[in-house]
Amino acid sequence: MNIITNVTLVSTNINKDLLKKYQDYYVIDKSFKIEDLLNKQKIIFFNVFNELEEDKIKEIYQILIDHQILFINYTNNMEEALLTKYLIIYDKENILIEGPTMEVLKNEKLLKRIGLSLPFMVELSLLLKDYNLVDNIYLDNKTLKGILWK
Amino acid sequence: MEINSLLKEYEIIGLISSYELKIKDGYVKDLSIKDISKALKMVLLDDSYLDKKISDLTLNELFKIDLLTKFNNDLIVVGNLSKYLNYKDIEYFKKLLLKLNNSYHKKIVVIDNDIKVFFNLVKMIVVIKDKKVLYTTNDFFDNNLYKYTKCPKIISFINEVNSSKVILNKTIDIYELIKDIYRSV
Repeated sequence: MNIITNVTLVSTNINKDLLKKYQDYYVIDKSFKIEDLLNKQKIIFFNVFNELEEDKIKEIYQILIDHQILFINYTNNMEEALLTKYLIIYDKENILIEGPTMEVLKNEKLLKRIGLSLPFMVELSLLLKDYNLVDNIYLDNKTLKGILWK
Repeated sequence: MEINSLLKEYEIIGLISSYELKIKDGYVKDLSIKDISKALKMVLLDDSYLDKKISDLTLNELFKIDLLTKFNNDLIVVGNLSKYLNYKDIEYFKKLLLKLNNSYHKKIVVIDNDIKVFFNLVKMIVVIKDKKVLYTTNDFFDNNLYKYTKCPKIISFINEVNSSKVILNKTIDIYELIKDIYRSV
């Protein structure tokens, strides 16, 4: 599969078989040292960031971007989707939807129907929009607090 | 307090620790489980899995098979729900574990690094490292807990808001949070 940007890939049934579609990617499926990745061109992370804080994941991504290494993060954690600009959703073995992350996340009903949740700040913003309390999606606590309690 | 005493008192506890799924390879049909068809249904699988090899299963399916092998135990230990299951499945299995506790008096240990898995399920959270209990709490808003694991977004949002003049109720339910925000803006 030809992908030209960094991507989060989420599937309803996390499955190593899916990695076969990305055979030219180097698979990371356990703890790793970032130095060991810097000589790779393409990396796919398989469900490895569960225990890491977002800032730490962002740090890893930035190092890879600085070294022009293309990466995919295959996860079942929708919060991690917000850390890349492109998102692919698989329902079992087939791509259900893909595109810019925020565009894909607008398909709330579709995502929930297949068993995925929205990232918390996206869901909170959408609910607040329903109550006409905000008019946009805010991903940052402080920004949303500032909008709500001006 | 040791885990056994905590279990005696609280019956369902959440452990923040690492967990590895270990199931012997072989065919699902060869697992020694009474009424296996019914057990498969309870873990959202069907009879087509009887002829599958354990080593061919996905992480999601392995979790389910691991759980059904434990139905007859007095103590059920499950782990990594957040890593192996999607959101819908997590909510289903939390209800199933509660039922196993309420109706069949099973004691339950849930091991995970994602505190959200413990919401509306466990009565005590225990942090374990190198087999030692480092910390226990029954309060999801106990900031000391987040020295050991990631803070759920709903809690960090409420903490952020409450650091100013606005005071929101400490809730783990997004709909309660919305009502509270609506009342306070």
